[in-house]
Amino acid sequence: MRPILLQGHERALTQVKFSKEGDLIFSVSKDHIICAWYSANGERFGAYKAHQGALWTVDVDPTTTLLASGGADNTIRLWEVKTGKLLKTWEYGTAIKRVEFSEDGRQLLGVTEKRAGQLSTIIVYDINQDPEGQQPNEHSLRIVVDDIPKVTVAGFSYLTKYIISGHEDGSVTQYDAKTGEELKHTYPHEEGSLVTDLQWSSDRTYFITASKDKTAKLIDATTLDVLKTYVTDTPLNSAAITPEPTNYVILGGGQAAMDVTTTSARQGKFEARFYHKIFEEEVGRVRGHFGPLNYVAVDPTGKCYCSGGEDGYVRVHHFDPPYFDFKFEVEREQERR
Amino acid sequence: MAAAVQNPPGRTDWADDDDSPDLATALPAPQITKNKDGTETVVTIFYNEEGKKVKRTQRIRRTVVKKKENPRVAERRQWAKIGPEAGKPPGPRPDTTTLGENIIFRPQAGFKAGGQQEANPQEDKKAEALKKMQIKCRICSGDHFTTKCPFKDTMAPEGDAAPVDMDAVAGDGGAGGGGGPGGSYVPPHLRKGGAGAGERMGGKYERDDLATLRVTNVSEMADEGELRDAFERFGRVTRVFLAKDRETGRAKGFAFVSYADRGDAARACEKMDGYGYHHLILRVEFAKKST
Repeated sequence: MRPILLQGHERALTQVKFSKEGDLIFSVSKDHIICAWYSANGERFGAYKAHQGALWTVDVDPTTTLLASGGADNTIRLWEVKTGKLLKTWEYGTAIKRVEFSEDGRQLLGVTEKRAGQLSTIIVYDINQDPEGQQPNEHSLRIVVDDIPKVTVAGFSYLTKYIISGHEDGSVTQYDAKTGEELKHTYPHEEGSLVTDLQWSSDRTYFITASKDKTAKLIDATTLDVLKTYVTDTPLNSAAITPEPTNYVILGGGQAAMDVTTTSARQGKFEARFYHKIFEEEVGRVRGHFGPLNYVAVDPTGKCYCSGGEDGYVRVHHFDPPYFDFKFEVEREQERR
Repeated sequence: MAAAVQNPPGRTDWADDDDSPDLATALPAPQITKNKDGTETVVTIFYNEEGKKVKRTQRIRRTVVKKKENPRVAERRQWAKIGPEAGKPPGPRPDTTTLGENIIFRPQAGFKAGGQQEANPQEDKKAEALKKMQIKCRICSGDHFTTKCPFKDTMAPEGDAAPVDMDAVAGDGGAGGGGGPGGSYVPPHLRKGGAGAGERMGGKYERDDLATLRVTNVSEMADEGELRDAFERFGRVTRVFLAKDRETGRAKGFAFVSYADRGDAARACEKMDGYGYHHLILRVEFAKKST
């Protein structure tokens, strides 16, 4: 496969997201702009400019009409994808680390950072899906995370039943998405190692977390049981689950950005690692970035994946047939029967 | 044709005249003929960059590839670009989009990190070569190495099986070289047509033991030049070797002299044996064939 390199950003990428049909990629970086790309050929559709600081997060609703973004300028902004029009700006006391739409696109959550006396919170808005319509000023739910170390990532589970959040100390919490009540709190990762990413399976019944403790875990959304563990040799920044029928997880990481200049690209482990989802075994790596991978995202249709690196590039990879054909011997035997 | 359309007939600007609009009109329209096998032949006559009239014949086969696309995706493909890309034509732009190097990504069970992936093709080749090479035990003729034979201790290794095997291979032609397909490995010196002609250390001058004399009881003060002079008178000497002590540099007392011709060597052997050289009497004999 020949990766497509997207160079629309001047600084490190922080998040990349696919639209639901996998045709558009949205990327945000520390250079304050959001770029939208066609995944098929790498053509840039456009850019969304208004943010005043580094961007940490972006998400697109399931109909690809609305785009939400959040960053270090302490705002969540809502955009119309097609026209690039800024629809709404919500301001906070601290930076926004994560935004995510619910499965149906009716709700949007944002994660605010704990800093300068402000508490870490998860805010939920009821979104008006009509881009012409009025967006609410007030949040519908606000979860203040006080007794647990600050939230780094969060997302809506299936049917918008729970909100799952990952924390700075390696713990994962389950909240009721209606009431904001804390239901479960577990420590799947090593204590004290930041949960860097949380991505959902296509049906949102389970999710994968990546952590600085060099592991990624597949966790059940209802029980918070750890289903699978993927052990690597480098701190992880991101983890993604490929949709059916392939059974892979893609992990991205590399040593901390601050240490990059002191080591070679080989040692830096700037590769996307592919693990088999069920057997927890590494099956391959894709090289290319010359900085840590800050985010990996998989096309919801499974045809390609892209990774955003500290090096400022987004690399889009369209999978070759071997990727789809690969099976373990056990799987083949199972099929023969 | 196109040029004629661009220039309205009423236009009389002289600057437009040299655009040769009539050239285009003078050309016949492309001829399209349908062939029996479903292809089309298009014959076009046009002027190339050098102004020469060119006839081009193309055969075209049209195939229809139907591809289903999500209507929403198709719609989004038609969207007008926004932001810095506004107004730009469709298609990726080289300033933002480039193609990377081809990456071969092939998931494999038992993947090991650290350059193993690159080494694998070579290893595969090796394994394949090993597979092709038929391994045959010299003891029991099984397909394993002799050293791995289970009867290694109980049966004689170089017994009757081995020579028979070698003869057979040597018989069916050393042309196959290093144990061609279907034969076990035969060392070069045992191959047909190459008895004793294996490559030897020692380089360019091939030592011919048949015309080499061993000279013993040579004086300590002897040197190669002197010896050569003494032996040269019987024929062309190809090589003189005088054994010297590594530390003192003095002769050890024996030497080898090779002749180009065995006849000369025989004569020299006869004459020089018992010849007084310095204060000693030389002893000359044919060198024994080195093993």
